[in-house]
Amino acid sequence: MHYDVVIGERTRKVVVLRAGEAWRVTVDEAPYEVQATRVDGALLSLLVGQGGAAPSRSVPAVVIPGKVSGALGVHVNGRQLPVAISESGRSRRRGGAAANGIGPLRLTAPMPGKVVRVLVAPGDAVETGQGLVVVEAMKMENELRAAKAGRVVSVSVTEGQSVDAGAVLAVVE
Amino acid sequence: MSVTKVLIANRGEIAVRVIRACRDMGIATVAVYSECDRAALHVRMADEAWPVGPNPPRESYLRIDTLIDVARKSGADAVHPGYGFLAENEDFARACRDAGLTFIGPSPEAIELMGSKTAARQAAIAAGVPVVPGTETPLDVEVSDAEVLRIAEGIGYPLMLKAVAGGGGKGMRMVSMPAELPGALRAARSEANSAFGDSAVYLERRILHPRHIEVQLLGDHHGTVVAFVERECSIQRRHQKVIEESPSLAVSPDLRRRITSAAVSVARQVGYTNAGTIECLLDEDGSFYFLEMNTRLQVEHPVTEMVSGVDLVHWQIRIARGERLTLDAEALLVPRGHAIECRIYAEDPDNNFLPSPGRIQKLRVPHGPGVRDDSGATEGLDVPIFYDPLISKLITWGDDRTQALARMRRALREYEVHGIKTTLPFFRWALDDPDFLAGRFDTTFIDRTLAARAGAPFDTASPDDETLAAIAAAVHQVLGGPTQARTGVAPAASAAPSRWRAQARAEALR
Repeated sequence: MHYDVVIGERTRKVVVLRAGEAWRVTVDEAPYEVQATRVDGALLSLLVGQGGAAPSRSVPAVVIPGKVSGALGVHVNGRQLPVAISESGRSRRRGGAAANGIGPLRLTAPMPGKVVRVLVAPGDAVETGQGLVVVEAMKMENELRAAKAGRVVSVSVTEGQSVDAGAVLAVVE
Repeated sequence: MSVTKVLIANRGEIAVRVIRACRDMGIATVAVYSECDRAALHVRMADEAWPVGPNPPRESYLRIDTLIDVARKSGADAVHPGYGFLAENEDFARACRDAGLTFIGPSPEAIELMGSKTAARQAAIAAGVPVVPGTETPLDVEVSDAEVLRIAEGIGYPLMLKAVAGGGGKGMRMVSMPAELPGALRAARSEANSAFGDSAVYLERRILHPRHIEVQLLGDHHGTVVAFVERECSIQRRHQKVIEESPSLAVSPDLRRRITSAAVSVARQVGYTNAGTIECLLDEDGSFYFLEMNTRLQVEHPVTEMVSGVDLVHWQIRIARGERLTLDAEALLVPRGHAIECRIYAEDPDNNFLPSPGRIQKLRVPHGPGVRDDSGATEGLDVPIFYDPLISKLITWGDDRTQALARMRRALREYEVHGIKTTLPFFRWALDDPDFLAGRFDTTFIDRTLAARAGAPFDTASPDDETLAAIAAAVHQVLGGPTQARTGVAPAASAAPSRWRAQARAEALR
């Protein structure tokens, strides 16, 4: 995937490619090998290796979606950086990008909130990027979308229900 | 006096602190809450919780009638006021006494006496303790500007105008020349009137580069008063403390002996009981002056607890029960190591410490040797706009100042509060500042720092930070943003309960 990442005044060209279990990430041509594990909806544990070095530098990163699609609050090294990300060559896409996941995918609440709408029912076929559940948090409605196409196996919440961060909302297979 | 069930007439971290002491002692607790605090930490931690009204403090946490009523209904036999709100309100202490409740604090008479700054100054003078030169009686509204100017000439410039009923920096103005006096007088009076309902002010000579040193006291109902090692509280903004430590680098054992015995004399002079604090200004030449007495538990009491090993809230309760103080007064004056506290406020240090209320989206709290986090905050809940924006007090302890500082630096690095601005970036900067590290500071430290930085942010990202943020953002997108949680990942400890629930829900649906 090719991204334009805007931090402050500067735009960086970031390319992310699968490299086995890890990712090959280039930031303005500088190569990094990155192992990424998602701890919860916001926290990523990254192990970063620069320029061919082993991915061993531990970088916990908290990524919190902002009000506008592609606007992220990223926290690394105790710093809070506003980031705008979009796929290169396109206007900002709506919704989160999809990964080519295999097996059932659990849609989880990225933050505590209230389920305001459930858009699908078990058995529904869904497309990548299709909205599944709308959760209200921080006085905003966040439409949570399918990360891949498939069939809805289960929906674990009902409208009006409050959910914790990380709570499973639906499963897509 | 029985204390078996305590109503805590407060909120936030101090309510949590008092609940913990009560639980240690097997005492039942009753929390109170305003509408926005329904799910707050103190509510969840207490045995019982009762609503006391809408969000504005005047309609809830300051309602003496409602609080007394809740105490009755809940069967509480004692009340702990915490700090702020009604903690230094003699009417509340009296209402508790009249309702047959044990007030865990000083007598209403002591609160009333020391609450008047001019009466407190007179008490200090009577006890033979030096005070900052100034007016001995309040300047009421009838006193003309011309008369105030005449009095000011006698004291000398620069001087401070202070509200008689003051506290928390409200109704306080510095005046460096006579021309500024009439305007400052109007501003201080109006501020004092709106904050305390009392527009009386007094004048005091301004010590140019003072340190703020204070002495924690405990007094029982049997005539014993003990003092603790001093606290150094010079790092302040808007006359409110943000970093405190104990002991102070500026206080020698000899000075400690003089300053603590002066503090004990003032307390004896007014028959003071329970926990209280004598605040002093320490001049560059080593002379000290009585400033005021706080007739309550202080925000920064944990630094004293860390260097004395004494649980002050525990002793507040025992004293309220009528027990005798059994602490060794001599041993209390020898610090056990060194402790530092940073007050984590929901304030933006890059915007002149402006309050930054809002929702805490994510919270990661430091742990490990020598670290204590006294917090009232919860991930997913708001820091309300109605109350003091204190999120937490981070305290570290070490064998010496160097180790306490190292642990603070480590803990600040671990501390993460996402979703709102906090004072954390300022503390991270301060803990690397050569003057702070060397103890070269006075109460003007933050103002001088902000002036010297001329708007340079404390929170600045390096090119390395930016590269890592770009990597994190891109990987986050590739992984499917917040819509996708990868399976097979070890659950984070903090998220464990909800993940168990999530797992149970998922399994139930199979």
